Amino acid sequence: MTIRATVLGTLCRPSFVVAIAAVAVFVGPTSAHKEPHTPEQLKLYEDVLMEEVRKGDLLFHGDAATAKQMNVVLSTTGMACAMCHPMASDTHPQSYPKFQVETSKFATLRDMINWCIEKPNQGEKIEIDSEAMKALEAYITWSNSGSVLVPGKH
Amino acid sequence: MSDELDRIRREMHAVLQQLGVRPDDSLQITRRTFIHRSLLFGAASVGQTFAWWPLLNTIDVAHAAEAPFKFAWISDTHLYEKSLNTRFVDKVVRAVQEVQAMDPPADFLIFGGDLAQLGKIEELELGVDLLKDLTIKKYYIPGEHDWYLDMGKKWGELFGQPNWTFDHKGVRFIGLDTVSRGPDYWTVKKMTPEERMGHMATLDGTVAGAWAGVGRDQLDWMQKILADWDKSKPIVIFSHNPLYEYYPPWNFWVRDWREVNEVLKPYTKVTNIHGHVHQVLYNEIGSMRSIGMLATSWPWPYAPEGVPKLTKPMIRADPGDHFDGVGWETVNVNAEDKVDVEYIMWGRKEVFVQSDPDSSLSQPEKLRPRMADNMWPY
Repeated sequence: MTIRATVLGTLCRPSFVVAIAAVAVFVGPTSAHKEPHTPEQLKLYEDVLMEEVRKGDLLFHGDAATAKQMNVVLSTTGMACAMCHPMASDTHPQSYPKFQVETSKFATLRDMINWCIEKPNQGEKIEIDSEAMKALEAYITWSNSGSVLVPGKH
Repeated sequence: MSDELDRIRREMHAVLQQLGVRPDDSLQITRRTFIHRSLLFGAASVGQTFAWWPLLNTIDVAHAAEAPFKFAWISDTHLYEKSLNTRFVDKVVRAVQEVQAMDPPADFLIFGGDLAQLGKIEELELGVDLLKDLTIKKYYIPGEHDWYLDMGKKWGELFGQPNWTFDHKGVRFIGLDTVSRGPDYWTVKKMTPEERMGHMATLDGTVAGAWAGVGRDQLDWMQKILADWDKSKPIVIFSHNPLYEYYPPWNFWVRDWREVNEVLKPYTKVTNIHGHVHQVLYNEIGSMRSIGMLATSWPWPYAPEGVPKLTKPMIRADPGDHFDGVGWETVNVNAEDKVDVEYIMWGRKEVFVQSDPDSSLSQPEKLRPRMADNMWPY
């Protein structure tokens, strides 16, 4: 419920953007690390994360409106990421980077996200630093919060 | 969430797993995933369309009083309309061909639910069309994906009563409907049928809640139809969901497992065979053994907690290789009580994990439930 309340506060996009802009002006890069953090700043950081998690959650679960809005085609088979990975299970973000058997390459989580989009989901792979990729990564890692970091584990 | 699950699990163990109580070992059940060799060798050209998992399951039932026999199980086909997804169609076609090719033939087929993905008329009718080439007797139970678009209307027209019973060669078979009694989460929120279905069709959704259950009325019905059945004769119960508590957030359970146990407690040879989990699963609860069946559509990972200790996990999926390890294999899960659970999985030499790296469970996970489906307007 805490999460919900926090994120509901970010739903009004214009005010969210203004808030970020305001923080950028008043506590911008030059002073970002020179003053003690305020509760408002910390809340904003959290809100920024949770907005990405929200968008990633929707993309991960095949929400057509969000995919359209972000101009991505993550699947053409009806399948969504969450159908093989409920609650982002078995995505193991904590194990990246690692040697990826599917591609025989050393890979990041983003590489594997694109592999899943292209192969099982038969969708169109997305730019590695795109907004959609960041949102998917945010959701997957948030959902696996607390898992122990084990880079390279197969 | 973990604390609540722990509490429920402790209660389940206290109630059901009392010292010395186990399923009767005189009923032998052999389970295997059946692949017809002649089809297997001819399959290379269509292999690209098949995924990595076994297509169907056959079950040998041996009971001292009667002749052994075999029946087949297919479930969780999750058909979309043909124009959207042909992979799932291809796998059903293949499963049907293989069951039809069984020699000697299976006595009957059980379809264990989730024929459709979104409950659409076209999806259900496609399923009927694909399964019609199978000439043996077919019995159907519903899955949640079949039900919540029109609340079972089309399913009922096609398949009739969702719960049923029959006797066959000394075994009483029961089909249960564990999906239709979900709590109403749609009326207050004024959801369209499609929205209602969408929440139900999302395994890790948080809106549909604890929808899996048998219901008092159906329990009374089961008690009634078992009243004349000898307590020591075998009973096989088919359900979409497992009849115990494995992982409630994904409805890998029925919420009224306590009441189910009350009804079944007097009977010593009860086997529950269920779908929904899309994975190899074995458990013993009181005097009932429970076997999870594979889907034709896609595998689901084991839940982050609650996997029964008696389950020998299946090998982790390699989503990139459609023909990984094709072959047959026999594995005794629990030789001691003579239950010879044997999976012969299409595309796999070894069905069960051989070492840690073969198992998705080798990477412990801590997972959070999703959050966006509880937010306006979702």
